[in-house]
Amino acid sequence: MVSRRNLELITALLTGAFGVAVIISSTENGISWSEEGVGSGTFPFLTGLVILGGSIVNLVRGAVSEGGIALHAPEVKRWLGLFVPATLFVAFIPLLGLYVSTALYVFGSIAVHGVWSNVKAAAFAIAFAAAVYILFEWMFLVYLPHGWLGSLLGW
Amino acid sequence: MDNLEALLHGFSIAISVQHILLMLLGVFLGIVVGVLPGLGAPNGVSLLLPLTFGMQPVSAIILLSSMYWGALFGGSVTSILFNIPGEPSSVATTFDGYPMARDGRPTTALATAFSSAAFGAFAGVVLITVAASWVASVALEFGPAEYFAVYLLAFASFVGMGGTPPVKTLVALAIGFAIAAIGIDTVSGSVRLTMGVDELVKGVNFVVAVMGLFGIGELLIAVEEEMHVRGVNSKVDWREVFRTVGNMPKYWWTLLRSTAIGCWMGITPGGPTAASFMSYGIAKRFSRNGANFGKGEPEGIIAPEAADHSAGTSALLPMLALGIPGSATAAVMMGGLMIWGLNPGPTLFVDQKDFVWGLIASMYLGNVVAVLMVLLTVPLFAALMRVPFFIIAPLIVVICTVGAYSVSNSYLDVMLMMGFGVVGYLFKKVQYPIAPLVLAIVIGDKAEDAFRQAMLLSGGSLRIFYANALVTTLVTVAIILLLVPLFLTMYSKVVRRS
Repeated sequence: MVSRRNLELITALLTGAFGVAVIISSTENGISWSEEGVGSGTFPFLTGLVILGGSIVNLVRGAVSEGGIALHAPEVKRWLGLFVPATLFVAFIPLLGLYVSTALYVFGSIAVHGVWSNVKAAAFAIAFAAAVYILFEWMFLVYLPHGWLGSLLGW
Repeated sequence: MDNLEALLHGFSIAISVQHILLMLLGVFLGIVVGVLPGLGAPNGVSLLLPLTFGMQPVSAIILLSSMYWGALFGGSVTSILFNIPGEPSSVATTFDGYPMARDGRPTTALATAFSSAAFGAFAGVVLITVAASWVASVALEFGPAEYFAVYLLAFASFVGMGGTPPVKTLVALAIGFAIAAIGIDTVSGSVRLTMGVDELVKGVNFVVAVMGLFGIGELLIAVEEEMHVRGVNSKVDWREVFRTVGNMPKYWWTLLRSTAIGCWMGITPGGPTAASFMSYGIAKRFSRNGANFGKGEPEGIIAPEAADHSAGTSALLPMLALGIPGSATAAVMMGGLMIWGLNPGPTLFVDQKDFVWGLIASMYLGNVVAVLMVLLTVPLFAALMRVPFFIIAPLIVVICTVGAYSVSNSYLDVMLMMGFGVVGYLFKKVQYPIAPLVLAIVIGDKAEDAFRQAMLLSGGSLRIFYANALVTTLVTVAIILLLVPLFLTMYSKVVRRS
């Protein structure tokens, strides 16, 4: 279970950290404001301050809010069930290439539900990966990564 | 008169076999994303964007804008038939649309929705036809200070009228600005905010951001809720369609009022969602049948639909004439314009007449195509609604990945997109608005450039923002809008105390 309060706090901390990073990074570019114009770091520096200031306000408001529960256990499970395989799919692209990863990912996501037979799921996954290949590499000449496996096979 | 001639010329560009086919395809795909929960016009347009990179700009914008019309109409179908709004802006349509459909009048509900939507969209397009070139000609006189003031006004109206907590809106905007600043600074040429990652010198492309924010982020939201489809019979009775359309003049006042609200909210970046809710609220408050709202009252369908579509359409006016998108979808389309090598804003009306008027003419045709197609395809999409989420979800993840990668053949972009997906999810969950974030990513560096050029002209003095009546008015209105939430909080505190 995840409470709304925790989600508010996590978001405010993340935005605040981003604000700090922007502030530090922008000072390297110079935050001058003179007759010769405005330095290239000034605008990002000011936005960094707004992000940090706003995040502190949101953090305090989040800490005192009551909120209730934002995510129940089954929802967290479903959420992870989508996010983890999607992250794995992205992580395996450099290794297996986009098409093989796509076929495996689509097959896995459908097969795990057990509604379709494995053969049907595999056929659908391969057909979808092939459709992506035809659409992008043949019709629109957009080359997608073939990965380490692709170069191993001389593709 | 010039506008009429230009429009006729536009029709001669828009009416070609290729463009009509693109319209049909765009509207069809638009209805698909509009009907599917978890996807909407901004997602659809983002997903399609990489495929348009090699197209002629006129063809590309016709495809994308047709998809937009399709998504606007598609969103209403599921609201009425299944009580599931396919789009945030169709939420208000469920209030009376679904009860009417459930009571055995789905055709009446759909026809009421579509005819008011078509009226709203038509009014929006007429507004663009009449006003866009005039707004653009005024804007051609703008200097950097005026430009910055207009940008400021756009950002301030999100804070003042966005309807989300103002501090959160401000944080979302500022994050967008910071993301826009990553990479090479266009004024000085120095590298900014790469934070040690050399590849970030190229900056963060907005396509990568929208794929994550809208595509992955929406999926992560949608997966939490198990989809319960409680569909009603979706056969279309054509005689009933004509009867309903014939009855529409009875509601002329609701139609006009809702359209006016929509046009206003579309031009100022209030957006279609805020417009439809506001219009529904006002209709309920002032209607003689106010007590019937929520039970299948026609005015309860007319008000949100007319406002939704007029806002969606007129949001393209500031995008074309000023280079400031009035909605998230318009922001994505504007990013597309830049990728195709066009410079959105008043110079478009001088340099790219064919493009602008071809687009405006296609809006008239696209909406007619959308109404016809949506009526013809209702049973088909009712079937599509039954495709389980576990099949659609991985396909969307793959499409987003391909889209993010193909922007600049970079794996880093794919990882950034996943990061944006998590940010989009968190933002939705705790009510940070996404639209101003996207708006700032798309036009943030333009606003900054305008500000710095103004400062160069004035020798670093802010007085340039009070140098003439126009810029003073714009800046003053922007500051008032920024302060609106503060005044409202103070007012409600005073009221509570007394």
